[in-house]
Amino acid sequence: MTIDFSFTKKQRALRDAIDSMGRHVVRPQSLSWDQNKAVPTEFLRNFYQMAQGMGGAGHLGSGDEPAREAGRASETNRTVMAGAEALAWCDAALMLTLPGPGLGAPPVRGSGTPEQRRRFFSIFEDMSDELRWGAYGLTEPGAGSDVAGIRTTCRKDGRDWVLNGRKCYITNGARASWVVVFATIDPALGRAGHRAFVVEKGTPGFSVGRIEDKMGLRASETAELVLEDCRVPEENLLGGEESYGSKEGFMAAMKTFDNTRPLVAAMACGIGRAAYEVARDFVKANYVMTRPIPRYAAIAERLARIDRRLQAAWLLCWRAASLADHGEPNAKEASMCKAAAGEAAIAACVEAIELCGATGTISTEQRFVEKWFRDIKVYDIFEGTGQIQRVVISKRIFPGLHGF
Amino acid sequence: MFDFTLTEEQALLQSTARDFATRKLAPAMRAHEEARGLSEDARRAFAELGLATLSLPEAVGGQGLGMREAVLCEEELGAVDPGAALAAPGPGAFGRALVELGSEEQARRWLTRADDAASRTWGAVAWSEARALDARAGFATTATREGDGYRVRGHKAFVSGAGEAEVFVVFAQLDEAAGWGGLGAFVVQRAEGVTPGPRHRTLGLDVADFSDVAVDAWLPADRLLTRGGDTGALARFFAKQGLLTAARAVGLCRAAFEVSRDYCEGRRAFGKPIGHFQAVAFKLADRLMDADSARWLLWRAAWAWDCDEPTALRHSAQAIPAALEAAMRCGDDAVQLHGGAGFMRDYPVEKMMRDAKQLSLCAPTSTTWDQLATALDLDLPLDPALALPTPETQPIFT
Repeated sequence: MTIDFSFTKKQRALRDAIDSMGRHVVRPQSLSWDQNKAVPTEFLRNFYQMAQGMGGAGHLGSGDEPAREAGRASETNRTVMAGAEALAWCDAALMLTLPGPGLGAPPVRGSGTPEQRRRFFSIFEDMSDELRWGAYGLTEPGAGSDVAGIRTTCRKDGRDWVLNGRKCYITNGARASWVVVFATIDPALGRAGHRAFVVEKGTPGFSVGRIEDKMGLRASETAELVLEDCRVPEENLLGGEESYGSKEGFMAAMKTFDNTRPLVAAMACGIGRAAYEVARDFVKANYVMTRPIPRYAAIAERLARIDRRLQAAWLLCWRAASLADHGEPNAKEASMCKAAAGEAAIAACVEAIELCGATGTISTEQRFVEKWFRDIKVYDIFEGTGQIQRVVISKRIFPGLHGF
Repeated sequence: MFDFTLTEEQALLQSTARDFATRKLAPAMRAHEEARGLSEDARRAFAELGLATLSLPEAVGGQGLGMREAVLCEEELGAVDPGAALAAPGPGAFGRALVELGSEEQARRWLTRADDAASRTWGAVAWSEARALDARAGFATTATREGDGYRVRGHKAFVSGAGEAEVFVVFAQLDEAAGWGGLGAFVVQRAEGVTPGPRHRTLGLDVADFSDVAVDAWLPADRLLTRGGDTGALARFFAKQGLLTAARAVGLCRAAFEVSRDYCEGRRAFGKPIGHFQAVAFKLADRLMDADSARWLLWRAAWAWDCDEPTALRHSAQAIPAALEAAMRCGDDAVQLHGGAGFMRDYPVEKMMRDAKQLSLCAPTSTTWDQLATALDLDLPLDPALALPTPETQPIFT
């Protein structure tokens, strides 16, 4: 191991394959998906088959892979991240829609019993007959990043738990075969009262509320989930009752984010790169850059700064993923890359539109700057806003700081 | 594979540099600044470590290590005193100029020394000129054929180490009609006709000596460096040398962050440490992102040079401005977070802020790198007027 900034052969092959699929298969349809607010199931099925064939890309939808089996350095986080950036470059909404356990994977993997892991993951092993999704339900109308504020309740009744509450902004929530739902036995207990359940589709009392109409990522489904006296068997309490020590419930939720923030940040970098490339190509085609400087110096400088900022964020992603692969704590670094990438990519999309002039607001061919402008904004919001990331970073800077 | 792990050798080098900076440079930081020069003790220690020639090839008397090793060490020096790093005895930028712009024979001849000059600054690079020419593109300093050699005549500006250096690389206009494409670089010994003017008193890094020089020298033809007019080679020279400056800037970022963090933890207001207020903590978080991302960009550029990656120049063109700008933000915020105390010389942060600004002019500026980075990405031919830090844009210290 040494300081190195090259892709592995596997990462390169993965990115090349995704890039090619993106150009020839995904992007030609991106706009219609965006307008129709869905990726057709048939396409997902074909895409899934292709991804399986590529090996590795199939993991992309899973959001996370265990980094530290056997306690040795792995490269899984890094490889998945390299793929995520490339796939987001193609179409970020497609990536969020890929079949698999999605954001539900990390809590099940991290906190589930071996039996639960087997049970809930096995349905994704063979999806040739039917595509399946998992989802992650934490956010509520009144609680987002402040996980301690969740109000969805759970109460033990015989061998069941009874859940009541609403979860919102749940990616793939309506189509998910199961959703990891966070609830509390008593809001007064704070984090110690939290429990995480795997709630399966079709459970009586579990229903889908509204499907959101969003600014961007429109082809990705975002649902509200409603739990009304929803009875969940005790086998679905993640990790089993005995595993809930003082902060376990809460920590399970947070561990998810340490692993997924670099991934989401990498997606932002992918969208930012897409926008930068369009701006660059536009400038190249429409300006005579070889004219004597002052003339286009300002344009050249803006281009350079967009990419410089994206690259800075991209390397922060690698740093965070690399720490995870080495089995080292990375909460601070994960938040740093997420905060930097969201902002850098938003700036890239905003600047790209302006550099392209009026044409920047109109999507054509492979140039979706206006779409990326809409897609990217949420990357500084979901999985913790930029402000929340700074709260996380601040707590790592000042160990004595427990909250503002 | 993307990785951030140091080899054992690199970790050892890094800790040696850190140890040296902490023991020899930190306690004397203000004394060096006031004396406007390093103490004999510090000079000798510098020379013993061989830090100044770390990444020069062994064939010319260097340590033969890579850019990665060089930036690791320079970050440690920069974290304590970037001025001392610049004032370090040795060949200075002259060494890299010979390696990048000269033939192997030229580099060997001018860099291999067996004397006791190791604890002195013996080389310098005279690139800048104080003003741009109205009449034509290019330097006012000219090199004209005279007998079997050249007459180099003119005034060069902002040369670091000029007061002490015995030998210079002097850039002059070789072909007046060719503008910035018509440059030549010459090795000129002080005794042959280089006269330093009075030393400048500068905003920051004042421990290092910056002077202008008057040149009027006849030189045999073999003093003309073989690639001194080659824009690609010049860009490479400025990039590699610039990465060392950037590494010091990253060190400054880190130190500014750490000292501010400690101050904000200790200083209390309204019943709690000021660092426990969001407005303060978030600023520190942003500066930490600055410092870290600048370091990784720097490492990537250094790696790219070490591995002969074709992207090395572009990576440098992103890393250097990122580090220089980050240093300015970190220095500025360090003073800000210290409040009134930050303005006082009792604390190191006011020096960091001054040094940060000065550092940003000790390599081609962000403006130049941004133009170069875009030109590379648009696949445009390297225009020397755009890619080099000429007096037509911003003159820099070399």
